[in-house]
Amino acid sequence: MKKLVFLSIALVMVIALALPASPISAQEKTKIDVWIAFQDYRWDWAKAVAAEFNEMFPQYEVVVTGGYSYETMFAQVAVAAEQGQLPAVVQYFEAATQDARDSGLFKPIADALGDRTEINGLTVDMEDYVAPVIAYYTLDGKFTSMPWNTSSAITFTNMNYLRAAGWDKPPATWQEIDAACEAVMALDKAPEYCWTFPNHGWFFEQWMAVQNALYVNNGNGREERATEVAFNSDAGVALLEWLDDQYNKGYLYYSGAQGGDSWSTVDQAYSTQQIAIAVYSSSDTTLYTEMGEEGGFESVASFYPYNGEVGWTGNLIGGATLWLVDGLDPAVEEGALTFLVYFTNTENAADWHKVTGYIPIRMSAYQMLTEEGYYEANPNQTVALEQLAQSTITPATSGALVGGFPSIRNVVTAAIDRVLLTDADPAEVLAQAAAESNVIIEEYNLLNAP
Amino acid sequence: MVVSPVVLMIMGAVVGAAALAFVFRRAGGRPLIGLGIGAIAGAFGSALFMVPLDYCTFEAERQSLDRVFGMIFVLAGIALVVTPVSWLSGKLLRRESLMADDQTQGTFRHWWIALPLLAPTLTILVLFLYYPSLETLRLSTMLSRLGARREVFVCVDNFTRLVNDPAYVDTFVRTMFISFSIVVLSMSLSLLIASMAYLPLRGASIYRILLVWPYAMSPAVAGIIFLLMFNPSGGLVNHLFGKWFGIKLGWLNDPAVAPWTIILASVWKSMGFNILFYIAGLQNVPKDLIEAGAIDGAGLLRRFWHIVWPMLSPITFFLIVTNLTYAFFETYATIDYLTPGGGPLQSTTTMMYRVIQLGVQNNDMGKAAAQSIVLFLTVIGMTIVLFRTGGRQVNYGV
Repeated sequence: MKKLVFLSIALVMVIALALPASPISAQEKTKIDVWIAFQDYRWDWAKAVAAEFNEMFPQYEVVVTGGYSYETMFAQVAVAAEQGQLPAVVQYFEAATQDARDSGLFKPIADALGDRTEINGLTVDMEDYVAPVIAYYTLDGKFTSMPWNTSSAITFTNMNYLRAAGWDKPPATWQEIDAACEAVMALDKAPEYCWTFPNHGWFFEQWMAVQNALYVNNGNGREERATEVAFNSDAGVALLEWLDDQYNKGYLYYSGAQGGDSWSTVDQAYSTQQIAIAVYSSSDTTLYTEMGEEGGFESVASFYPYNGEVGWTGNLIGGATLWLVDGLDPAVEEGALTFLVYFTNTENAADWHKVTGYIPIRMSAYQMLTEEGYYEANPNQTVALEQLAQSTITPATSGALVGGFPSIRNVVTAAIDRVLLTDADPAEVLAQAAAESNVIIEEYNLLNAP
Repeated sequence: MVVSPVVLMIMGAVVGAAALAFVFRRAGGRPLIGLGIGAIAGAFGSALFMVPLDYCTFEAERQSLDRVFGMIFVLAGIALVVTPVSWLSGKLLRRESLMADDQTQGTFRHWWIALPLLAPTLTILVLFLYYPSLETLRLSTMLSRLGARREVFVCVDNFTRLVNDPAYVDTFVRTMFISFSIVVLSMSLSLLIASMAYLPLRGASIYRILLVWPYAMSPAVAGIIFLLMFNPSGGLVNHLFGKWFGIKLGWLNDPAVAPWTIILASVWKSMGFNILFYIAGLQNVPKDLIEAGAIDGAGLLRRFWHIVWPMLSPITFFLIVTNLTYAFFETYATIDYLTPGGGPLQSTTTMMYRVIQLGVQNNDMGKAAAQSIVLFLTVIGMTIVLFRTGGRQVNYGV
C-alpha cells in the first residue's frame, strides 16, 4: 500500500513537470509588450504614459517592462528572439543601431506606417521630429526607429568658481578651458580639480564629431558597411594629447570609472563642488540644474567644448530609440505603432523633456514650451537642442554605424585610461586601440554581414 | 595533417594498454585482456576531443602552438577515458562493491525505485549544469555572437590567443593576487573577530547579529555605498582622510590602490559568513580540553594554537574552499560597482570580470566561453590540490 502511494506521488510529480502551465483565459485586449532599458524614474514615467494610453484605447493593453542597462538589453532580446518570445517594441541605444539593423528582427517605422498620416485617430507628422535625430535613424533612406530619449553632450559650469576667477561665461574651447582652469585653480578657495567628464566612449565620439573627424571608415559606416575604425587620425591624437595635458596639469579629474557606470562619479564630484566644470550628457540637465540650486551655486549649461584650432562642426546625438519588432500579428503591430505615436506626441515629448533633460524630439513641443515661457525660466534646457539645431550635418556629425560598437567603446575608454595614467605616447596608444577595434569589426562582419 | 589521427590513436592505445595491463597484473587478472581493453580505451580517448574538433589543430597551416594544444587535448582525452576504466576494472577484478561500504541500512528493495527519486535532481543538473557545460565547450571553439547570422569554427584560436596575450597573463596573475588576499585577510580577520565575539560579554548576541549583517546585504547595495564612500573626489572617506591626516588616496583611480579597495570591500562583504561559521566552530570546542590546558599551565596563545586551532580545522578547511569560490567567482558585482570597466589600467580586472565583460557586454560568446573554461580549470586544479594536501591535515574531532 505504502509503495503504491509513494509511486503514485512520484508519477504525479513527473507528470506535473512534463505538463506546460495551464493556458491563461482568453484575452479580449491586444497585449503589447514594450521593453525599455531603464529601472529608475524614467521607467515610472513610461509606465504612467502607458496607463494613460490603455485608458484611452481600451482595446490595447501596453505593458512596459524595465531592464538593467542598454548593454544587457541586447543580450536579452537576442535570447528572446531564439525562443520566439520577442516583445512588440524594444528600446536600443544608438551604439546598437548596426547590430539591430543586422539582426533582421525589426521593421522600419516607415514600412509599418506606409503613407498614412493618421493611425487610430492620432495624427502622424514625421516632419515634426527634430532633424539630426531623423538623420541618425534614417538608414538606407528609410526612417527606421522611433526616437524617444535623445540627448547630446554638453557642459555644466559652476559659475561661482568661474566668476571668482574672472570669467563671466563658461569656456567654449579646449584652449579656453585650459585658461579658465589656470585661473580657477589659482583661487584661494580653489576646487580640488577644475573639470571632468565620464570616461564613456560617447564623449570621445563627440570630440571626434566636433572636429568633423570620422570614427569609422566608409563615411562613418553610412555609405557602406564599416570595415575599419578611423579614429586614429590627427583629430584623435590631438584630443588625447589635450586630455593628457589637462590631467598632468592637475586640472582634469579622472575617477577611474569607465563605461556605462562612470556617470555617478561625475555627479558626486560636481554636486559636492570638488570640480568647477562637468562635461556631461544633456539627459540630466534637470538634475544638474537642481544640484546648483541645492548646493547654492549657479549651474550653467553651455555647448560642448571644441578644439579652437579646428573649429566646431557639430555634435552627435545620443540616447536610444524604440524599435518595432518585425513579423508581429497585424493587430499587435497596429497597437504598437499607435502607442509609439502617442508616446512621442507633443505633450508627452514636452513633459519627458522637462522631467529629464533629454531634448524635446518634436519641434511642436519646443514651440509649445517656448510659448509657455518655460525656457525663460529654464535657460539650461535649450542648450542641447540649440547645439543640435546649429550642427552642420556631415558624415562625421551623423554618428558612426559600426558592428560591435559597445566593445569598441570599451577599447577606447581603456585607451584614454592608459593615456591619462601612464607616460605612453597618445599616438601609439590610439594606434593600438585601433588595431584592437579592427579585429572586433572584422569578427563582427564575418558573423553578421549578409 | 601534420600528425595523422591514426598515429594519435596508436599512441592512445599504447598508453591505455600499458596502464590497463599494469592494473590487471596487480589485481590478479590476465594482463593480455587488460592490454586489449586498455588499447581500445586509449584509442577512444585520443579521439574524445579530437573528433569534435575534426583534428583541426594538426592541419598543415596551423602554428606549433596549436599542435601543443592539440597534444594536450589528446592526452587529456586519454586520461579521461583510461582512468575510470582502470578504476572500474580494478574494482571488478578484486570483486569489490562499486558503492561505498556499509550502505546496508535503508536500501530500497528494488534498485529502480531510486530512479524517480533521483529524477528531479538529475533533470535540474542535466538542464542547468551538464548541458550548459557541454555548450560552453562547443562555444569555446567558435566565433559566436548572440543574434548573429552565423557562427564560425575557429579551432583552438580562442585559447591560443590567450597565451599570446600579455594582458591576459597580467589578468591571471592579478586574479591570483586579489583572490588569495581576499581569502587570507577575510579568514584571519574573521577568526580574530569571532574569538572576541565569542567572549562571554553582556549583549554578545547583539554584536554577533551585527557582525553577520554585511553578509545579508545585496552586493549591488554594498557596491553603491562603497562607491559613494570611496569616490576620490567628493567621497566621504577622502573627505575625512583629508581632514584628519591631510592625505587623499586614489581609492578607485590609482592603479596601485584600486585592487586594495576591491579586496577591502570583498573582505568586508564575506566576513559575516566566516564569522558565523567560526563562532559555531568555537562553540564546539570542548571546554574541558581548554580547562585541562589551562591547569597544565598553557597560556592563551598556546591553548589557542594547540587546542582551538586544530579543533577548528574542519571549519577552516570548509571556509577556505567556499572563500576561494567566492573570491574567484562572486566578486564581479563589487568590482563593477566600485571600478566600472575594470579599474584604472585594468588593475581590478579579474578573470571572472573579463569573462562577463566579454560575454555579456561585448556579446563575444566564443572568447568568453574559452576564458571561462580556463578559469574553471584553474579553480578545479586549486581545489584538488587543496583536498590532497590540506584535506589530510584536517582533524575531525576527538
